Amino acid sequence: MKRKINLKNILLVFISLVVLNQTGYAQDEKEEPQQIVRLHYYNVNNNLQYLVLESLLKTGRKIEPVKKKAYRIYLDSVARSNFIAGVLTNEEGKVKAVIPPELKSIWDEKSEHTFIVTSEVAGEEETPTEFNIIKSKIAIDTSNVDGVRNVTATVMKQENNEWVPAGDVELKIGIRRMDNTILSAGEEPTYTTDSDGVATVEFNKINMPGDSHGNLIFTASVSDNDELGNLSVDKTLSWGVPLKDDNSTFGQRTLWSTRFKTPYWLLILAYSISIGVWSTLIYLVFQLVKIKRLSIQRPG
Amino acid sequence: MNTENLKISTVENLITTPPKSKAKSDEIIRDLLPQKFGRQGMIWVAVLTAICCVGAFAYYRQLKHGLVVTNMRDYVSWGIYISNFVFFVAISLVGSLITAIFRLSNVKWSTPLTRIAEIIAVSAIVFASLIIIVDMGRPERLLNLFLHGRIQSPILWDVIVIGTYFFISVLLLYFPLLPDFKILIRFKEKTGKKLNRLYRFQGSFWKGTKEQFKISDKSINILCITIIPVAFCIHTVTSWLFATTYRPGWDSTNFGAYFISGAFLVGAGGVVVAMYMFRRAYRLEKYITDMHFEKMGRMVVLLAFLYLYFNINEYLIPAFKMKKMEAHHLTELFAGEYAPLFWFTIFIGMILPVIILLFKKGRKPKPAFIAGVMVVVGAWFKRYLIVTPTLLNPLLPMQNVPENFKHYFPSWEEWAIAMGSLSGALLLITLFARIYPIIPIHETIEEQNKTDEKISLVE
Amino acid sequence: MSENNNQKSRREFLLSGLLASAAVAGCSDDNDNPFVTEENVAPSGEKVKLLSVNGEVIEVDKAFLKPVPNLPKLSNQEERKGIPGKKFVMVIDLSRCKNLRKCQEACNHMHHVHPGQNWIKILSMQDGENTAPYWQPTTCMHCDEPPCVKVCPVDATFKRQDGIVLIDANRCIGCRFCMAACPYSTRVFNWEEPKLPKEVEEQPYSCETSLPQKKGTVSKCDFCPDMTRQGKLPHCVTACPNGVFMFGDMNEDTVSNGAETFRFSDLIRDKAGYRLMEDLGTRPSVYYLPPVNRNFPYESGLENSDEHRKS
Repeated sequence: MKRKINLKNILLVFISLVVLNQTGYAQDEKEEPQQIVRLHYYNVNNNLQYLVLESLLKTGRKIEPVKKKAYRIYLDSVARSNFIAGVLTNEEGKVKAVIPPELKSIWDEKSEHTFIVTSEVAGEEETPTEFNIIKSKIAIDTSNVDGVRNVTATVMKQENNEWVPAGDVELKIGIRRMDNTILSAGEEPTYTTDSDGVATVEFNKINMPGDSHGNLIFTASVSDNDELGNLSVDKTLSWGVPLKDDNSTFGQRTLWSTRFKTPYWLLILAYSISIGVWSTLIYLVFQLVKIKRLSIQRPG
Repeated sequence: MNTENLKISTVENLITTPPKSKAKSDEIIRDLLPQKFGRQGMIWVAVLTAICCVGAFAYYRQLKHGLVVTNMRDYVSWGIYISNFVFFVAISLVGSLITAIFRLSNVKWSTPLTRIAEIIAVSAIVFASLIIIVDMGRPERLLNLFLHGRIQSPILWDVIVIGTYFFISVLLLYFPLLPDFKILIRFKEKTGKKLNRLYRFQGSFWKGTKEQFKISDKSINILCITIIPVAFCIHTVTSWLFATTYRPGWDSTNFGAYFISGAFLVGAGGVVVAMYMFRRAYRLEKYITDMHFEKMGRMVVLLAFLYLYFNINEYLIPAFKMKKMEAHHLTELFAGEYAPLFWFTIFIGMILPVIILLFKKGRKPKPAFIAGVMVVVGAWFKRYLIVTPTLLNPLLPMQNVPENFKHYFPSWEEWAIAMGSLSGALLLITLFARIYPIIPIHETIEEQNKTDEKISLVE
Repeated sequence: MSENNNQKSRREFLLSGLLASAAVAGCSDDNDNPFVTEENVAPSGEKVKLLSVNGEVIEVDKAFLKPVPNLPKLSNQEERKGIPGKKFVMVIDLSRCKNLRKCQEACNHMHHVHPGQNWIKILSMQDGENTAPYWQPTTCMHCDEPPCVKVCPVDATFKRQDGIVLIDANRCIGCRFCMAACPYSTRVFNWEEPKLPKEVEEQPYSCETSLPQKKGTVSKCDFCPDMTRQGKLPHCVTACPNGVFMFGDMNEDTVSNGAETFRFSDLIRDKAGYRLMEDLGTRPSVYYLPPVNRNFPYESGLENSDEHRKS
């Protein structure tokens, strides 16, 4: 059974629905709650691979994460020898798993694999959910010819243990930013590979701030592809400008700084007034003491 | 009063005065020594104590449940606690007016009023501090103001300046009391053992020598000079708590002067009221005379006109422009929800007292007293109007909040605490008058001698 | 596998694995990066062997298996300083807002905001009689010259180097001067003891999570610094199905709503972004894109308005 997976959309819908407290819709639609299990396959830099299992409960239009539910994941067939991991979902209904080294022979055997997820809860009959992936790899290359800076991504997939170009794959090519968002290198938000599995973008962002050395992390990333899952690859290049941290509003002596950074003029003003007035008052207290002393001296 | 059995020892510095004066001064002392509460006094104290107790209970509830017992919410985040605080700070300014300004400008007739003014100032400033603690969400963290105080914040300026003003006011109360202690100590039989011990503790070192008088007079002069700028500071800084924000109705450069003029007015009104009350309660007609009401009445008229002038500045000029931000606030005041209260404060707090006091008959004790009460009541509601309507006119519209966030009327706890604090201040004044002479005895005798001398010279 | 190989693949994992995985926070191999890197993930020390894409056996730290890495607990001092090298900024696109209030719900839920109060308010705005109405979500503006911080007497609210204005509820004395000073009326007060779930109540207080909230203190929108420290977007940003909120780092010149990512300076220039009450000189960190070429008519948001909800 194949699942259409689009990670970003799922995440958006998911998070917005987690916090949905509007009961307007849910009241009139009394549907049977539906269990949804999703499995996302990740391939990072053609090396690290892992799975993220996501468990949801859909009631009407309301989707909630299923917390603390146990699942078993198998590779290709439900058998002891194919067991990947037993997992328990977290507060967000998610859990991560990796493929253990023991399954090396099964993994190497084929170009295509099926992950099978079964529920561990006793007595609960749930049909195992299957997710297919094709082994794939992604490469990123950059060129700078006469000031024209290009970023090229190549996606390959295995067919019958042979590497062939993966055409018509939608992917993002750009700079990695906060929360793993990708700022597109060109004008389009996404690009599609041609029949050679290649997509090329001209990097047209001038003076893009990078890190302290002007380095930018270029990335090519496929998200929730039907066949390939999630692929990404990075390359660091100094095509940016060094980061200038504008700290002009912090650590200065201003009215909105901490008490350790009071403006000098205010300190001088406040202290001179306070000292002026209080020295007068202390003087007056001494005068009182003097009056008192005069009374003691008198009899003597 | 059992005058026959009164044994009057000779007061040292009066030795040289002629016997006629001595008899007079004896009479003055007899009249002005603190007296026990009569029946009325007992009822007065009991009622005030009861109100204080209700206030204390309300505060206990507030401590237990949090500020949720008040009707303040996110928009009206400051309510009558703060307006009450401003009122207290305002009325405390009178100490500097009557004592310092009059003394420095050699106004002799104010002598019997100085102590009244000064005790009003001290008790008002004490309860101003207390009510601001009541307003805090976390009163137990009061020490943070000193541990982590940020001098950039106007609140810290207020803390410093209130502390300073309190200290000065106490000194200004204490120094002129010193000669009176000597008299009080002599009249043991009259004042009672317990009080005598207190007087001895506080002032037994005063012998009335020339040097002592020299130092004391000089100190009082220095105090009078110091208290004026500090008094201006205390109320200006209080006005800045509002004026440093962007809110319509508060965002004004006029605010310092506006607050100070209002403070002098309510202070003068408060003194007129106190004069009348003390005069009646302690039969002080000989000392607080019609002349005092006459003069204070004129004073109130002058100050009311001054305050009216600043009010016109404060409201007419924004109303002339009717900036969008101000427009809603101003129409609310002039013709909206707050119009009755607004016009009440203008008429009862300023215009009507002026009309009464402009007439010679109006400056007799009773009408002057009524005018004084009007001034004080008007002033209290005026502070309420300065605080609340502004908070109900935020710069961005009030939406996405429960209905009760959009209105404000104090809860019973707030009323109880506010009234409790007012009663507390009155109680403090009353108890002070029970223990210490509310009219300076020594100074009154001195004045009397001087006028006698003048008369004898003329004769 | 040789020892050499093993080490190489481990290094590669740290260089790349943390970089890229969507479920693991972290985005750079640069040591300047303040976000989750190998130093501050708090590795468990235990290794897990796993199979790589090429069928090789590689080792990763056990901490990697956790979807949310254990961040070391920050001291109050660090929380007050903020994340170095960052300057957070938000862009709110008014042309996309239809008053769905998902942002508000997510925010209230995640921060356990007292029922009835909101950190985010979606205001129905109309600037003049004949001008078009629009929906305007308002968060804390995280001003660069914050009037609320100016007036705080005890340093309970403060401006961090990453631009965030935070509140330390352990310091706040509850004077509410900041509430009066804020022209955007963004601050709320805990008038009573907050009703929190037990596990929230028991967790140690942090300025960055603003939890657990405390009675008698002020609170407000905090730009979710607990999320941004993990390199994640604030809750309101991810909760909005219409992508109204865009959040990012001014130093990176990038803002994103999760699905779309823009260069901040281009976006502000192309869509004529502006800030609220610029004339007050508060210099907010929140920018607005004007409600032109709207995705939804104003009226479509009315069903969620206060008036509609009441009836």
